[in-house]
Amino acid sequence: MDKGVIISGIGHICLILWVLLGDFLFSPSEPPEPAVTEVSLLSSAEFDAMVASSPEATPAAEAGEAAAEPAAEPVEQPAAEPQPDPAPSVKPQPKPEPPPAKPEPPAPAEPEPAPEPEPVVEPEPTPAPPPKPAELAETLPVEPVPQPEPVPEPTAPVAEVAQPVPVPNTSKMPRPRPATRVAPVPQEAPQEPVKVAEEAKPEVSDTPTPETPVVEEKTEAAAPEEATTEIVTEATPQEDAPTLAPTSSRKPQSRPKRTAPAAEPAEEAVAEASTAKTAEKPAAKPAAKPAAKASDSASDSAGASDSATDDAVAEALAAELAGAASDAPAESKPAASKAADSKPAAAKGGSIAANGPPMSAGEKDAMRVAVERCWNVSTLSTEAVRTKVVVGVTVGQDRKPVATSIRMVEASGGTDASARQAYEAARRAILRCGSAGFPLPADKYDTWKEMELVFDSKGVGL
Amino acid sequence: MSRLRYLLSAALAAATLGAVTGAPLQAEPLRIELGTPVVEPMPFALPRFVDEGGAGDMAAEISGVIAADLAGTGLFEQIPQNAYIQNITSFDAAVSYPDWQAINAQALITGAVQGGGGQVAVKFCLHDVFANGTLGECLQFAGDKGSWRRVAHKVADAVYSRITGESGYFDSRVVFVSEAGPKNQRQKRLAVMDYDGANTSYLTDSASIVLAPRFSPSGDRILFTSYSSGFPQIYVMDVGSLSVRGLGEQPGTMTFAPRFSPDGQTVVFSLERGGNTDIYSLNINGGGLQQLTNSPAIETAPSFSPDGSQIVFESDRSGNQQIYVMSAGGGEARRVSGGAGRYGTPVWSPRGDYIAFTKQNAGRFHIGVMLVDGSEEKLLTASYIDEGPTWAPNGRVIMFARQEPGGDPMLYSVDVTGRNLKRIPTQGAASDPAWSPLLP
Repeated sequence: MDKGVIISGIGHICLILWVLLGDFLFSPSEPPEPAVTEVSLLSSAEFDAMVASSPEATPAAEAGEAAAEPAAEPVEQPAAEPQPDPAPSVKPQPKPEPPPAKPEPPAPAEPEPAPEPEPVVEPEPTPAPPPKPAELAETLPVEPVPQPEPVPEPTAPVAEVAQPVPVPNTSKMPRPRPATRVAPVPQEAPQEPVKVAEEAKPEVSDTPTPETPVVEEKTEAAAPEEATTEIVTEATPQEDAPTLAPTSSRKPQSRPKRTAPAAEPAEEAVAEASTAKTAEKPAAKPAAKPAAKASDSASDSAGASDSATDDAVAEALAAELAGAASDAPAESKPAASKAADSKPAAAKGGSIAANGPPMSAGEKDAMRVAVERCWNVSTLSTEAVRTKVVVGVTVGQDRKPVATSIRMVEASGGTDASARQAYEAARRAILRCGSAGFPLPADKYDTWKEMELVFDSKGVGL
Repeated sequence: MSRLRYLLSAALAAATLGAVTGAPLQAEPLRIELGTPVVEPMPFALPRFVDEGGAGDMAAEISGVIAADLAGTGLFEQIPQNAYIQNITSFDAAVSYPDWQAINAQALITGAVQGGGGQVAVKFCLHDVFANGTLGECLQFAGDKGSWRRVAHKVADAVYSRITGESGYFDSRVVFVSEAGPKNQRQKRLAVMDYDGANTSYLTDSASIVLAPRFSPSGDRILFTSYSSGFPQIYVMDVGSLSVRGLGEQPGTMTFAPRFSPDGQTVVFSLERGGNTDIYSLNINGGGLQQLTNSPAIETAPSFSPDGSQIVFESDRSGNQQIYVMSAGGGEARRVSGGAGRYGTPVWSPRGDYIAFTKQNAGRFHIGVMLVDGSEEKLLTASYIDEGPTWAPNGRVIMFARQEPGGDPMLYSVDVTGRNLKRIPTQGAASDPAWSPLLP
């Protein structure tokens, strides 16, 4: 064969062998790279050195670079980079915020509060570095932040989503260093912030700075802050509006009104029972309808050929129904007269109250609290304290109790003497705290004009 | 039949509807439950009593004692006189209740004092300000001018009783052991004072050590323990004549911790014989010695129940000091104390509902109360040393001796609720108080 073929064959074989064995023999021993450790060393040592030695006040430019760098160099080294950047910006402690907020936008936004916040807010207005930082460090323990540098990282996520969330980052940045430096000073600081408070936006400025990074570019950082505060204030009134619940209480009023007038129609129904006219209102209907039907059936039965027993039963039922209807007005009359006289009513006189609009739980609680604050059991005997008394009282439309109407309805858990003492304490409570009028809804007078108050301390005073 | 059915159904419907509509008509008035009262002193007004002749400064002093009595209970609070709107210049003058309501006075006490011929007469009225009327009838007390404080206490008792429903305790006295001298040579003698620390007088000299004085139910005699014979022995003293005689004297025994029965005819006490201490009873005249307990343990500090049917005492028969109750005639006793620590010096309340005691636990002394069955134990105080409780005549207040580290024992009182802890002013150190009944 040709030597050339042999040579090429040998060469190919060698090449193949080299390919197969060469990687196997030479593959390892490339990875070792000490450079990483050096980077970490540089970050810590240089950072401290930078912080201690760098007085320069070119925060804005550096901040811009810092922000750019962390974004470009994503992961590992950002720690080293951010530190150097913040170090210069840190001295004017306000700067911790500028890095996240991207210097320029916040600066214009804060100018408004700038005069006030200088003690507090300055973070953004990087301008007056050396003097102001000192003040800030004293006044605000939170702001004196050397390591705010992590902030640049937060900015990166902001760029991604543009979400306002970075707030936690800003808060973390200021906190770490203040603890060591500011510890002794905090009490003096509050005085200055108080002056700032005159404008009532110092706090807002604090919170907005975190928000400014969220806004990204707009200088209206202050606007969103105010918006948030306004939203809060608006929320409370909105909550109040629903709590007023007068509308809901008015609905129940309509119910009682229906029932209350029922008494009058009932009288008419009774008077006209023989004519079989039915009352329009619900309460009267039940009584009137059956009465009419009964009378009709009774008259029909008279001429019908049904058995005499049916007639007798019908007459008896008609008579009973008529009697029941006549009883109803009999009860309603005194109630009506009592309502007109507003005199102390007997226990049954409360029927009108039962027809009134129901008291809400809050209204009952208000009444309960109003009386309890005057219910003093300190002077009661141990036995009287354990005695439960129910005291009835009539309350006038002026919401004041009628002294002569106060009466003990019932007592339990003690002797007559202890019940009398417990009643006296209850009576004093009603008179004392009722002298200025109870907190009762005027539109529910029919409900609370007659009340029974149950005084049961269960031995609380012992 | 169909018509009958129709009628029956109509009747049932009518009855049902009638019941429905009738129910609200007969419903009871609005009912509101109250369960959280306040516990604060009741404000009262007490204008200086009017001098109706011969009273002089006594009118103001009596007014002051009455006010101090009421305010000292912790249940009342006097409204400063400079806040009064109406000026009471005559006892018979009409009271302008709105003026007193305006300053939130819940009670008003008006009065007048007459002094003449060595007598003092005090009349007063208690007004329920918010009821626009008097609370009870107006009353008058009279006595020697020298006892004007008692008259004032009587007025205060009447006011207290009308408002609280309980009897008062202001017109009462307290017998106690007055201590003086260094602790290694302590001189102890019996002394008696008003409940508020005034009018102290001494019943014995310092020649011998005296302990545990106890008033008789009528207040005319005092039982106590004295070392005058060289060893503890119980004696009875007539308060009027200060005459003293021994009780239950038996050779070779020691007697101590005596206390009267409710009828004043029997005395229960501890008697040590041969190293064993048991409880005995004895007729006040000296006869009828009866052994009530028979145990190798130390049993002492007996106290009768108000009805005289039972005796509460302390015993270490269980291994440590606990409280037991047995029949007044002796017999098997039941233990009523069950908490941690040691219990001693039990005293039955005059009202019979509570037993007061001294408790030592965890290095602290307490005065406490428990129901007679041992339940609802409640510690009222806590101190370095608190001991020797005694009940006020109305069972509402407890007086006891308290000693702080390095200090002398002093008398304190506390309400049975645990409130109003205060020191009783005494002339020097004092211990072992015993409250008298309400004076006649």
